[in-house]
Amino acid sequence: MSARNINFSFGAKTVLDNVQIEVPNGKFVALLGQNGAGKTTLFSIITGLYAAHGGEISIGGYDLRKDIQAALGSIGVVFQRPTLDRDLTVKQNLRYFCNLHGISRSDAYKRIETALESYGLAELHKRKVTQLSGGQQRRVELARATLHNPRFLLLDEPTVGLDHSNRLEFVSNVKALCKTLNVGVLWATHLMDEVEDADYVYILHHGKILFEGKSDDLLETHGKNSIAELYSHLTGKTTDVQHPS
Amino acid sequence: MRKKTYVQCVASTVFLLFATHASAYSIFVSNEKDNTISIIDGETLEVAETVTVGERPRGIVLSHDNAVLYMCTSDDDHVEVLDVKTLKVTHTLPSGPDPELMQLNPEGTKLYIANEDDNLVTVVNVDDRTKEVEIPVGIEPEGIGVSPDGKWLVNTSETTNMAHFINTDTLKIEANVLVDTRPRVAQFTGDGSEVWVSSEIGGTVSIIDTESKEIKHKLSFEVRGLAPEAIQPVGVKLSTDGSNRAYIALGPAARVAVVNMQTYEIEKYLLVGQRVWNLEFSPDQDRLFTTNGVSGDVSVIDLKKLRVIKSIKVGRFPWGLAVSPDKRG
Amino acid sequence: MKLKHAASCFRGILARESLRFLNQRARFFAALVRPLVWLFIFAAGFRSVLGVSIIPPYQTYVLYEEYITPGLLGMIMLFNGMQSSLSMVYDREMGSMRLLLVSPLPRWFLLLSKLLSGVGVALLQVYVFLLIAWFWEVRPPVAGYFFVIPALIISGLMLGALGLMLSSFVTQLENFAGVMNFVIFPMFFASSALYPLWRVRDSSEALYWIANLNPFTHAVEFVRFALYSEFNWQAGLITLLCTLFFLAVAIWGYDPLRGFLPRKGGPAASN
Repeated sequence: MSARNINFSFGAKTVLDNVQIEVPNGKFVALLGQNGAGKTTLFSIITGLYAAHGGEISIGGYDLRKDIQAALGSIGVVFQRPTLDRDLTVKQNLRYFCNLHGISRSDAYKRIETALESYGLAELHKRKVTQLSGGQQRRVELARATLHNPRFLLLDEPTVGLDHSNRLEFVSNVKALCKTLNVGVLWATHLMDEVEDADYVYILHHGKILFEGKSDDLLETHGKNSIAELYSHLTGKTTDVQHPS
Repeated sequence: MRKKTYVQCVASTVFLLFATHASAYSIFVSNEKDNTISIIDGETLEVAETVTVGERPRGIVLSHDNAVLYMCTSDDDHVEVLDVKTLKVTHTLPSGPDPELMQLNPEGTKLYIANEDDNLVTVVNVDDRTKEVEIPVGIEPEGIGVSPDGKWLVNTSETTNMAHFINTDTLKIEANVLVDTRPRVAQFTGDGSEVWVSSEIGGTVSIIDTESKEIKHKLSFEVRGLAPEAIQPVGVKLSTDGSNRAYIALGPAARVAVVNMQTYEIEKYLLVGQRVWNLEFSPDQDRLFTTNGVSGDVSVIDLKKLRVIKSIKVGRFPWGLAVSPDKRG
Repeated sequence: MKLKHAASCFRGILARESLRFLNQRARFFAALVRPLVWLFIFAAGFRSVLGVSIIPPYQTYVLYEEYITPGLLGMIMLFNGMQSSLSMVYDREMGSMRLLLVSPLPRWFLLLSKLLSGVGVALLQVYVFLLIAWFWEVRPPVAGYFFVIPALIISGLMLGALGLMLSSFVTQLENFAGVMNFVIFPMFFASSALYPLWRVRDSSEALYWIANLNPFTHAVEFVRFALYSEFNWQAGLITLLCTLFFLAVAIWGYDPLRGFLPRKGGPAASN
């Protein structure tokens, strides 16, 4: 996945200013930024919900503008806000997604079984979404996002609302995916500890990529001990982006 | 070849199915204000023809061979006779002044006519075209009912509030039955055992036992949302097809009441046009026609479903009805 | 767009709507109560009226409840259309709409599938309502129950598309109360749903013209005639054209090149 020269504004307000991002296969790429930095807007553009006011996006070799359906077919998304249908059961949610992606019935059956198994949801499949904990819901969303074997996963603050242990478990789930399935992951967050051992880090601030690089390199170059320190050093802020207590 | 025969067979069956459907009949409607008779086709349920006749046609009766229509042309003070084939008035009968309602005797030879203004029932011989006799009755005679065996003639008088039982042999009143205010229509049951008499102002229908000449039951009506004064029973029609249903026209209530003739229960009120007065069956009693004076139309009721299926615009103030099993024209 | 994929997608959306309906029976019946209240209480108040004068498609005098039945069918479609379209965007449905729109199928197809599925559920309500009305002596001819289906589908699509169109343009319609006040009530009352147009004209010429310009009037008349096995060309054509227009604008409104609801800092302003 690559995004080049992305610009976007709401009226006079510039939200994204010449943003460039690249997510290679099998890499865990973090997009760090405080609330309002433009992360969700960027994700909306990559998923075709908004059209960028300039720039190019290519996903799995498909140009988003010219071949949006093929491009969308190769992304899996976990949105910041829950998108599970709360009135349906876990399995019904997954089946609905398979239908949307044109996965044949028998194929869907197999994939759903496998996904439920590997995300530890097997016993929960008959439960309604409302009966699941926040962590379980997120796991369902992650399982769903991978049902169509995407080449690229997009996660927008996926751990919001999760407690510490659930959060760490979720992060490690995704990192494992990244390696085993060789999918590229773009992970947007404002939480430092999720970023520490990312393959690559982008820092988005006021719609601009303020900094990018391998996390180790970044720290080395600036002589800081953690991404948090680096972030405050770069933006002069400490409030929004932080280690969770 | 065999196939063709089969097709022909089916085709003729289908044709027969349609052909035997007994809707090839005509409905004659007298329009009191227009001085016309509207003729409705029983198949299309549309007005096929309109014939101008004498002044203020009200009660109409078909001869037993359905060849002529007798019409009380009230303001002309006689009965006009319309040839159903040519639709020409061939002659008149002397009815006495202001004839309103009339009935034929079972032989079809005599007309019993109520003369509203003269307090008389006039008996007219339709073959000789002569007035045979005048029977003095109560004030403002209105309804005429003839028993199926022809022995009894029941006449209602609007002001005296009585049903007069007249012996047709002696032409004498043998009994007077007091009913509710302003009796209108008198109708015998098919077996002749009862006479149903509607009281317009009283809002009731009295069911009189023919033998004892006593009221055995009185029907009253209630339509949700309508004032009792608006319920004014006039037309009465009693089925003879085994369905045991009576139909009562309720005038300004714009309803026809459906009554179970055994239990005297009112089964249903059917919405028709305004000021519904007179009723008539189709030949096989699968439909009932109503004249709605104020709205100027005839409503058609499907008696199997008990649903009003159509209202047909006719002339101004439709009044009387007669149905002929022959298709006209 | 592969046909097989499209079929699978439509099946999925339809299945989802049906499952939601099965899981929310309470809401289904609550939605049914609204037209029934009108039928039982409002129409009963007018019962004493000596029938509604004969106007096509009626062949005879009809009681008021029979007259307003097509209007109440329209009401079911109206509420469903607005509710499903607007709730797609507002409230909790926001998320599921995003999920739908990032599916690898043309957006017009996704939106149309969604609208059609909504209409399907509304049709179920319509037939339950008609069944209850049958016991209330509102009994259109049997054939009418079939002929009314296409009229209901087109009307339902029209109202759903209208909701969708409004949702993508009118930012003021924040919640359902606003929609009730500014869309549903005016549309319902200024139409032929409750009173024949000639009656409306008797009381106000202006209202008569407004009712004539109201697409809901034509949808109701389309449904009314169809329920009596008749096709009202004018009403049908106007309803169809309105459907196509609203659909086109709604799809255009959801075009990513225009941006999906780019207003007030976007749907998820909290970045």
